Amino acid sequence: MHRRTFLQGLGAAAVFGSMPFASRLSWAASPGAVSVDSLPPLVGDLTLYLGRGEGGLYENVLEAIQKRNPKLNLRIRRGGSAALANTIVAEAKAGVKRADLFWAVDTGSVGLVTDQQLAKPLPSDLTGQLKSGFQYPGWTPVTGRVRTLPYNTERVQPDAIPDDIMALADSDLAIGWAPAYASFQSFVTAMRLLEGNKATANWLRGVNRNAKKYAGELGVVMGVERGEVDLGFANHYYTLRLKSGKPDANVDLAFTKNDAGCLVNASGILALSDGDLPVNFMRYLLSREVQSYLATEAYEIPLVEGVAPPQGLPAMDTLSPPDIDLRKLADLRPTLNIMRDVGVL
Amino acid sequence: MTFTKAPRYIALAVALAAGSMSLPALANGEITDQVNHLSEHLGDYSQEVKWLEGKYGAVVDTYANEGKGKVDTAQLIEFWEEVNFHSAIETQYVPIYASIWQAIYGIKQGIDGGADISVVREQEQKLKEALWQALGAVKLAAQYQKQGLVDKVRTTESEPTTAPEVVDDIKNRLHKVVAKYAEQLTEVATTLVHDTYLQRFEGIEGALIEHDAELVEDLEKDFNVTLPQAIEKDAGVDAVRDIVEAMQTKLDRAKTLLADAEKNRKDVF
Repeated sequence: MHRRTFLQGLGAAAVFGSMPFASRLSWAASPGAVSVDSLPPLVGDLTLYLGRGEGGLYENVLEAIQKRNPKLNLRIRRGGSAALANTIVAEAKAGVKRADLFWAVDTGSVGLVTDQQLAKPLPSDLTGQLKSGFQYPGWTPVTGRVRTLPYNTERVQPDAIPDDIMALADSDLAIGWAPAYASFQSFVTAMRLLEGNKATANWLRGVNRNAKKYAGELGVVMGVERGEVDLGFANHYYTLRLKSGKPDANVDLAFTKNDAGCLVNASGILALSDGDLPVNFMRYLLSREVQSYLATEAYEIPLVEGVAPPQGLPAMDTLSPPDIDLRKLADLRPTLNIMRDVGVL
Repeated sequence: MTFTKAPRYIALAVALAAGSMSLPALANGEITDQVNHLSEHLGDYSQEVKWLEGKYGAVVDTYANEGKGKVDTAQLIEFWEEVNFHSAIETQYVPIYASIWQAIYGIKQGIDGGADISVVREQEQKLKEALWQALGAVKLAAQYQKQGLVDKVRTTESEPTTAPEVVDDIKNRLHKVVAKYAEQLTEVATTLVHDTYLQRFEGIEGALIEHDAELVEDLEKDFNVTLPQAIEKDAGVDAVRDIVEAMQTKLDRAKTLLADAEKNRKDVF
């Protein structure tokens, strides 16, 4: 019950705070990842529907691809991922197709499109680049984010933290959470799908006994770091980014095993048009250079084999995310109903 | 030219749901290309301001002389919605747009509540000042427009793509929040706060955490607690404006930090 998988997986926790910033962000991609140098040039017209990304970093990637491929005429329509997914479905129903590609920041939006059988099948040599468990025939994850338990290193010992997310409902640890936050609600949705509605409602009630509410998940991590609570629920990057700016912060990451507590969610891309061009464009996003860029600059988790995760995270194969079809996380309404019934929203 | 609140609310909601329209398209009623040719319409705008002064003055005079039973205060809203000037000021200088609505409702609530005429006159005076100040702002914008110093008001899809652009967009949206609250469209204002956080601030906060985590946490609280609660509890336009102005100062610092960070960003390839 109390076995731990946390930063010691890499021995990174101990050295994380003491390493200079530049070296903490330097990564050596393992052999096997495809370099952009080996990819075919992109020639022709492409329309990409782009869900809002990480503060302009996706834009930097697109600009770099465009610059490298001057004969590519890339048109971009930007918007919220869910809104764009609905647009694609509505356009298809009207017999119109404007987008060749759809890059969404969440898998729920991908599911809205794939459920309508609008995504084109992808070649196995492309999906085969992805890590095991992230290979899908009709879409490909680009980068991931993992749910974590940030904990205060002064207030709690790692071995006092359960590695079973459900056990936290019975613990006496002071917990920080942000129930109104979208990522938290996706996590509860995963729990509902894995454990059922009743168990999820009981878990929410149990945690609520010792919980302090925050507006967002950075607030949770900051609350943990200040010692207002022992641990919290948050995506991994808040802690990593906080520690990059404040290396001596009193916070580290713990992980649960095989449950919603270590859910890995992803951004994803799918092709809506046949032909090589959309697929080859996707190859650029899965290239070693782009995956490394998003890992170092955005702290996102590369999901292509052979590219290392952002420092401070264990290697993906030491994590044990639950087996769940990420597209089902779009089913949010029952989750919100339970959270309201229990009184945490 | 009259617009009821319901269609305007729907138009705003649709625009926000699409998430891709530029903010100026959220004004009352339809924004026409007229706002990109302000100098051609300055004469009309001046006439409209004088017309508004007369109309509001007449209503207040009637209240002073005959009491509230003789006054239809719904007219106070309709007058403002009648004129093209409102879209000119809403697209050029939203803070004054909010002040105009604040004063219009100040008059309306004063009359509806049977306030002393001196209280109503005070609001009327504030409205006059705001209208003339607004006309001055539009004249200045017209000059800048002729010199090509201001961006064209966009009526087509557009989204900010760099972090500093996102910050500017957030600041503009927050001015809109005050305006919509002043217009007594509380639900619209609250939705705009929520959507600005989800659609804009969340995209930049990751990069900002590395440089000033306390600033991000502060703004998260402003977006998720302080500002929506002030609107929900009907704290008043001045209080909401104060919160937004404090947020604008924090966002200016965020913009500087993000612009510096972008300069040091490594290349993708």
